Amino acid sequence: MNATPGRSACAAALASLPLQTPLRLRRLLAMWSPEDAWNIVMHSRASVFGISDSVVAVWRGHDTSLVWRLEEQCRAAGVWVTVRGDPSYPAALTDDIDAPSVLFCIGRHEALDHRRVAVIGTRHATQAGRHFSQTLGRQLADNGVTVVSGLARGIDVEAHRGALDSTNEPHAVAVVAGGPDVVYPREHASIWKELPLRGLIVSELPPGAKPEPFRFPQRNRILAALSEVVVVVESRETGGSMTTVREAMKRDIAVMAVPGSPHVQSSAGTNGLLRDGCAPVTSAGDVLVALGFEHRMLTPFVDTRPEPTAAGRVVLAALGDTPRTIDEVALATGMPVVEVAVALGQLGSGGWVADSDGWWEALTR
Amino acid sequence: MYAAITSATLMGTAGSRIVVEAHVGPGIPAFTVVGLPDEGCKESRDRVRAALLSSGLEWPNRRITVNLVGSGERRGGAGLDLAIAVGLLVATGQVPAESVSSCAFVAELGLDGSLRTTAGMAPLVAAVDECEVVVAEGAHDEAMLARPSRLRAVPTLGGLVAALRGDAPWPDIDVSPPSPVNDEIPDLSDVRGQPLARLALEVSAAGLHHMLMIGPPGAGKSMLARRLPGLLPRLTHDEAFEVAMIRSAAGMAHRAGLATSPPYRAPHHSISMVAMVGGGSSHIRPGEITLASHGVLFLDEMGEFSPGVLDALRQPLEERCVRIARAHSAVEMPANCLVVAATNPCPCGVAVRINCECAPAARQRYLRRLSGPLLDRFDVRVHLARPTTAELTGEAAAESSACVAERVARVHELSLRRQGCTNSAITGDMLDDVAPLADDAMASLRSRLDDGSLTGRGYHRVRRVARTLADLDGEHGLITRRWVDVALHLRARLDVGITPR
Repeated sequence: MNATPGRSACAAALASLPLQTPLRLRRLLAMWSPEDAWNIVMHSRASVFGISDSVVAVWRGHDTSLVWRLEEQCRAAGVWVTVRGDPSYPAALTDDIDAPSVLFCIGRHEALDHRRVAVIGTRHATQAGRHFSQTLGRQLADNGVTVVSGLARGIDVEAHRGALDSTNEPHAVAVVAGGPDVVYPREHASIWKELPLRGLIVSELPPGAKPEPFRFPQRNRILAALSEVVVVVESRETGGSMTTVREAMKRDIAVMAVPGSPHVQSSAGTNGLLRDGCAPVTSAGDVLVALGFEHRMLTPFVDTRPEPTAAGRVVLAALGDTPRTIDEVALATGMPVVEVAVALGQLGSGGWVADSDGWWEALTR
Repeated sequence: MYAAITSATLMGTAGSRIVVEAHVGPGIPAFTVVGLPDEGCKESRDRVRAALLSSGLEWPNRRITVNLVGSGERRGGAGLDLAIAVGLLVATGQVPAESVSSCAFVAELGLDGSLRTTAGMAPLVAAVDECEVVVAEGAHDEAMLARPSRLRAVPTLGGLVAALRGDAPWPDIDVSPPSPVNDEIPDLSDVRGQPLARLALEVSAAGLHHMLMIGPPGAGKSMLARRLPGLLPRLTHDEAFEVAMIRSAAGMAHRAGLATSPPYRAPHHSISMVAMVGGGSSHIRPGEITLASHGVLFLDEMGEFSPGVLDALRQPLEERCVRIARAHSAVEMPANCLVVAATNPCPCGVAVRINCECAPAARQRYLRRLSGPLLDRFDVRVHLARPTTAELTGEAAAESSACVAERVARVHELSLRRQGCTNSAITGDMLDDVAPLADDAMASLRSRLDDGSLTGRGYHRVRRVARTLADLDGEHGLITRRWVDVALHLRARLDVGITPR
C-alpha cells in the first residue's frame, strides 16, 4: 500500500525507536544502510549482531507506521534529517570518535560552513558573565565566526543572543538535548523561534523528544565535536560545562576560559581551567587570534553605550569585578545612598551595570 | 415579677446595647434564658444562682425566664451575668426597681458573689455610656477609657445590693484619668550601615507605603521592622482611643491605657486565617490586622504563611477595614495598618545571591507562594544584604528615630494638607495633580514601560513613592528624574515568573 520509505526516513525512524542509544544506532548503521537496517529490525526474525535479543524484540513489537508518522512529524516541524555519510552531514563530525549517526536539524545548513567556536557556561551566571557572553557572541559573529552553544539558560543563551544581534548571518548553531522542536527552558521560546531563521538547531533526538537530564552530557559531546575552540565564560567546578570541556580535550580541541573573581563561585571552574593551563579570554580578539585570524583584519567592536557621568565612573570603579550591594557602594564611595541609586539608575539605563536581587555588577570587561 | 436591665454585648470591636428582661412567676421551678443566647450565656444560669446564694440573697424557687433583647443575632458574653442577677433581684423585689432604672451593669459573676471583669470592658461601657455604669472593681481603668457619664466600680454583688437598696454608700473609687501606656520601641540608631534599608524604612513611614524586605537570614529584617513604629507619628487622641478599644475587645486588658505609640504586631507564620483577619464562631474577635490598626503589622518569613491567610489580607489592605460575615452576624472592624513583610530570596537563603545553589525553578516556586496581587500591594520592595564588617564597625552613630520621625511627620502633615490622604492612598486620577512628573522623569518611566520592565500598575506605584521621596527632601512641586530613579530602586524586581516591577 505504501511506497518504500526513504533513506532519511528510515534513519529517523531507527533513531526514534524506544531503548535506542547512540551506540546501538551506530552499530546498526555500521552494518547496513538505513533502509536495510529498518527492514531487518522490523520485518525479519533474524537476531542482530551486537544488540541483545530482548531489545530487538521490543523494537519488533513496535508499530511499523512509525516511519511514516515520523516523516510527517518532521515535515510539520520543519525538521530535516541527516545521516552520517550524507553530504549534508557536518564534516566536523564525520570522523568523530563518538559521532551521532543521525542528526535532526531545523534551520540553515550554511551556519556550519564557517569557523566555529563554542561559547558555553553555567546557567547560574552573574550579570557580568552574561554580558561578556553576549558581547563575545556578537563580536565572533561580526567577524564571520559561527557561535556554537547549547541554548541553555545563562551563558549559553546570551552567546546566541549576541550572535543573533550581529548583522552577519547565519552564525549561530544550537546543539540541544531534546528534540530540535522542543523548547527548553520555556522562557527561551522566542529565541528558539528566531534561531532557525538565522542559524541552525541540531539534535540527536527526533522531534518531540523530551530533554531528559542524562541527554545533556551526551549533547555536550556533539557540541564540543562541532567546535574548533571551546570558550568557557563562567562555570562552577562541577558544572555541566566541564563535561563539554572534557569532551573537547578528548578530541584535542582547544579550550579557553574567561578569568573571573575568586570570590564568585560561578568563576571557580573557569579559574581552575586557567590554572590547568587553558588560554585566557579577555576579549573576542583572544579567541579570534587563537583561530588564526590576523588581528589587524578584525572587525572592530564599537561600544555604543553612552559615556558614564563623573558620579557614574566613581560608582563603576567602586563596583570592581564582584557583585556588590548599594550599601557597599555607598560605603566605598562615601556618597549618600540616594546619589548612588541615581547613579546606578543612569548607568543601568546606559547598559553599564545590571543587578540580580539587589547585587549590582559592572558590565565593563 | 418583671424587670428590664440595661447591659451590653460585644460584636467585633464595638459594644452593642442590650436589655435583659427577667420574669419570675409561678410554675414549676426552672431557669431558662431565651433571646438567642450563646453558649457562654447559658452557663450564666449556674454562676448567677451560685453568686446569689453565696451573697446571702434569696434564690426564687419559681419559674424564671430571662430574655435578651437587642440587635445582632446571638447575644452573650459573661458580661451579662450581673445584669441577669440584678434583673432577678428586682423581679423578686429584693432591690427597688427605681434604683436601677438609669443604671447599666457589665460584669461577670464569680461563684462567691464577687464581680469580675470580662474582655472588652471599654467598648461594652461605651455602648451604654449615657447610663450610670456598674462594673467590677478591677475593670475600672479599662472602663474609664470609654468615658461613661458615671462609673461605679463594685467589688461584690452583696456590696452592690446594699448600695442599690441605700443601706450602704457606693464604694469609693479614685477617678484618675487613664495614664498613657507606651511600648518600648527600639531606636533606629542601633542599626549600623544599611543606608538603603534605612531609606526604605523612612519612605515607608512617610507615605505609609507597605514594604517588602527580601534578604537572607541575618540581614536585619526583623530588627528594621521593629523600629518602624518609632518612625511613625505618635497616635492622635482619637487613634489612641480606637487602639485602646480594640485592645480591650481582644481581651488584652493589661494594655488598656491610652497608648500613644503605634501598635506593632508580629504574628508567627503558623497563624490561622481567623486569627489574622478576625472572626470566631460565637463571639467575633478582632484579628492581628485589626490589632495592628494605626501601627505596623510585620509578617516575618512571609512565604511560610499559608496562602489563604496572605490572600485574605488583600481586601482589608485596600479598604482599610475588614468585614467579617458569619451566618448569624456581620461586623466591620478597622484594619488600617502598615504592612511590613520579610522573606528570604530563595529556599537556601545564602548571603550572596551569586553563590545561591537553588535551581531557578525552586526559586520561582519559593517566591511564587507570594501571590502577584498581594506583592502588588507593596509599594516599597527592597533587597537587603547582610551588613559587611566595615558597615558594622564603621560610622560612629547613625541617625536616631527621632530625627527621622521629624521628617516623616512633616511629610504626613504636608500630604494631608495637599491631598487629604497619605501618599500611598493617592488614587490614579489624582496622580497628575499631586505628583506631576518633570519631562526627563516621564521619559525615564516611559522607556521602562516600553521595554516591559515596568507594568502599568508599577508605574503608578513608582510615582507615589517618588512623591514621598521628593516630599522627604522638601521638593514639593514637579518630581524630577532623580526621585523616579531612586523610587525604581525601591521597587526591586522579583525573579522570574512573578510580576516584574
